[in-house]
Amino acid sequence: MDKKNILIVDDEINVCKSIGRAIQCEQYEVERALSGEEALDNLKEKTYHLVIADLMMPGIGGIDLLKSLRTSFPEINVIMITGYPTIKTAVQAIKIGAFDYIPKPFTPEQLRSVVARCFKSEDEKTEKEPPVTTMPKGIYYIIGHTWVIPEKNNKGLVGVVHDFLKTVGRITSLQLPNENDNVMQGEMCAKIKDDAGYNYGIWSPATGKVFEVNEKLKKDFSLLKKSPYKEGWLFRCELTQFEEDKESLLLSQ
Amino acid sequence: MGKMKRLMLRNYLWIYTSNSFTLIMYYVKQSFCKMALKQIYNRFLSLPLRAKFIISFLLVICFGGILTLIFGTRLEHKTIFSLAQDKVNHDLASARMVYNEKLFDIRDIVRLNSVRESIQNSLKTKQRETLFKHLSLIRKEFALDFLTVTDAEGKVVLRTSNPEIWGDDQSSDPVLQRALSGKTVASTQITPREDLIKEGKGLAEKAYIEFIPTPKAVPLEKDHEENAMVLKAAAPVMSEENEILGVLYAGIILNRNYEIVDKVKEIVFKGEMYKGREIGTATIFQQDLRISTNVKNENGKRAIGTRVSREVNQAVLNKGKIWVDRAFVVNNWYISAYEPIKNINGDIIGILYVGMLEKPYIDLRNRVMGTFAGMAVLSVIILLIILTVITSTIINPLKKLVVATNEIAKGDLDHKVSTNLKDEIGQLATSFNQMTDNLNKANQKLIHWGKTLEKQVNERTKKIKEMQDSLIQSEKLASLGKMAAGIAHEINNPLTSILINSHLLLEKADNPYVKESLDLITEETSRCSSIVKGLLEFSRQSPPKKVPADINSLITNTSALLENQLKFQNINVIKKLDSNLPHIKIDTSKIKQVIWNLMINAAEAMPNGGKITLSTRFSKDKKSVVIEITDTGKGIPQENINKLFDPFFTTKESGSGLGLAVSYGIIQQHQGHIKANSKVSQGTTFTVVLPIT
Repeated sequence: MDKKNILIVDDEINVCKSIGRAIQCEQYEVERALSGEEALDNLKEKTYHLVIADLMMPGIGGIDLLKSLRTSFPEINVIMITGYPTIKTAVQAIKIGAFDYIPKPFTPEQLRSVVARCFKSEDEKTEKEPPVTTMPKGIYYIIGHTWVIPEKNNKGLVGVVHDFLKTVGRITSLQLPNENDNVMQGEMCAKIKDDAGYNYGIWSPATGKVFEVNEKLKKDFSLLKKSPYKEGWLFRCELTQFEEDKESLLLSQ
Repeated sequence: MGKMKRLMLRNYLWIYTSNSFTLIMYYVKQSFCKMALKQIYNRFLSLPLRAKFIISFLLVICFGGILTLIFGTRLEHKTIFSLAQDKVNHDLASARMVYNEKLFDIRDIVRLNSVRESIQNSLKTKQRETLFKHLSLIRKEFALDFLTVTDAEGKVVLRTSNPEIWGDDQSSDPVLQRALSGKTVASTQITPREDLIKEGKGLAEKAYIEFIPTPKAVPLEKDHEENAMVLKAAAPVMSEENEILGVLYAGIILNRNYEIVDKVKEIVFKGEMYKGREIGTATIFQQDLRISTNVKNENGKRAIGTRVSREVNQAVLNKGKIWVDRAFVVNNWYISAYEPIKNINGDIIGILYVGMLEKPYIDLRNRVMGTFAGMAVLSVIILLIILTVITSTIINPLKKLVVATNEIAKGDLDHKVSTNLKDEIGQLATSFNQMTDNLNKANQKLIHWGKTLEKQVNERTKKIKEMQDSLIQSEKLASLGKMAAGIAHEINNPLTSILINSHLLLEKADNPYVKESLDLITEETSRCSSIVKGLLEFSRQSPPKKVPADINSLITNTSALLENQLKFQNINVIKKLDSNLPHIKIDTSKIKQVIWNLMINAAEAMPNGGKITLSTRFSKDKKSVVIEITDTGKGIPQENINKLFDPFFTTKESGSGLGLAVSYGIIQQHQGHIKANSKVSQGTTFTVVLPIT
């Protein structure tokens, strides 16, 4: 198996070094660039499989880098990291085409799980496996994360999109919110652990209060992968500000 | 002489008054120069209103009164005296008639006797004894002073009053001359002393009058009068052949003969007396000498021998005019009339005078004047009374107004002017009352305002303080937000390195000692991370998404999440929620966050347990909902109360110090406010007020 080339782009050398140390292993060849410009130079010379880029950098920023990567190197996955995380930048980054978005500071484990998911999806792409399923129409979602289907009386059903689940191994553990818990858009609302030992945080697609949790799912985690848009739902919540939340969501066609 | 003085005084007064006008004008002009008039005017202006009224009216009344008095007096004087003069003129005519009557009586006597046959025959035959026998009886009967017969040549045949003397020629006598020519005539005549002596015994003595010195008369060299003024009549005695046989003539000496004047008095004045004096007098003058009169002197005797004044002498004797005027006769003022007495040739030989005592007229005039003046005074008094009454009706309301203004000036704004007048003063009073009413109202308002002012100032000061505090708090939050954004970004980078590297070390660490340290490092780094996360949340306060919500169920739900946990800490939650509260528009998640924060705070204030009271109610004005979260904890010292909502202010060992700052921001975004009241060792109450609309 070829080594994966990973480019870490951050204007702070210590952050670059730390990230490099966190994901350094036999499979990964890690290089670093201290600015957007340097990263682009590197990209011209060498083929990379993954770029981990800081969102806010002097000169060519993370979003600009992401945009140019999407046009010049669409095959390269990009994970955005940022010291100033907002749901807007997160959603923006993912809309443009980032694989994921990790707010600083993070643990090596968090980073590794995302990187692992990234390469898994890449593997799937290369293996050209048919997708588990497709997204039905009329669903509001955050690309690669979660969806919400609005119901009557400002209520909503929340679940995980199949794209996310593709990148995850066999689920060994699932942590769901409790009833009456508040969830906020862009904040972690659930955790998944797969057989590779990675923990994945799942962002809530909307803000609201949980009033019902999928008890079936708690017993049978496989439902999540088998039927991500039906039996595999996570919880029901009262949507408190869905009109605002919608601005950061996409609607499936 | 007292009357003289009075007359002089009157004339003087008249001159004085007529002169005084020019005099006043002169002084007025002078005063103008000296500005004295202005002073007077200014003094007048400073007088009370009533005095002004009365002085003005008095001036008008007195001016009018004086004018009326002056002209009235003059008119009355003229009228009375012209009336008197008319009367005296008339009386003079009557006196003349009496005088002439006497003259004609004598003429008739001689005429009637001249035609008697016995007389004619006796004269023809020159029988003096017969003539004497007939004529002396006639003389005595008619009280003639003389009755004489002449022959046709004018030679005296018989003097009945003096028969011894006869044969003298009397033909030079003008009266006789006319009789000798055949006419019967009568006339007044001056008869010389020698004729008097011839005509009869004692006649000359009767005629003789010594002059009594009279200051006003024309001075004369002689000091007596020896000739007589005689009423004389002569008639021819005719024969049967109509030849003149002679002349019969007779006469009465007027000197000391009072018959005519007394008759005049009797007939004209009817003997009227006024205060012991005869009203009417009559006098016959021989030239200017009083020869027959009933004017009495001081001794009560007839004032013969005195003479007429030069003035009358000039007018009547020299110019032959009738003179009518007041005159001072002997010792009284008379309204007099003089007319000349002429002899048969038309020469003026004497004066006939009638006079009325002026005193009754003066008294009448004085009475009239007195009445007039009395009426004037009375009318002035009546006018003054009327004036006083009228000015009272004007001034009394004004005085009331003045009193009222004084009262109001003193501050008694309830004072009212009572009036039932409908005129301008009434209107003034009404307006005045209205004005004081308004003033009163304004004053009341002012007092009320003054009373509430302090309260208002305090309230406003409190509000301003609150607003300032809130502004400061907002500014703190805003600047903090900006800072937080910067800090978060900067701190997250080193945190990333620390977190990653400590984790990496932890993965490799076998030594428990090292591992423990690394655990502490990662733990604390995570805490840093969560602080920064809180900061970022705080800096990113998005506008609240407000939906109508039931605040009570929100509190109940939030509380329910904590209650189980709190039970382990021996904390009871008590809810006193007002079920009547309406739904209010809030961002439920944010408000929940606030409630959550406050409950966590309350719980942390009671490490040894206690109770949390959650209550909701209306605000006093029902425009807001009040949420109170009360604990029974250790309380917050007063000095910390104001810092409570400052970011990073914390008294807890663990805690970002952002919870209350974030809560503050959220409540502010809801246009509400949050505050804390605390008593050390008793507990703290957080009060959140949220507007209903």
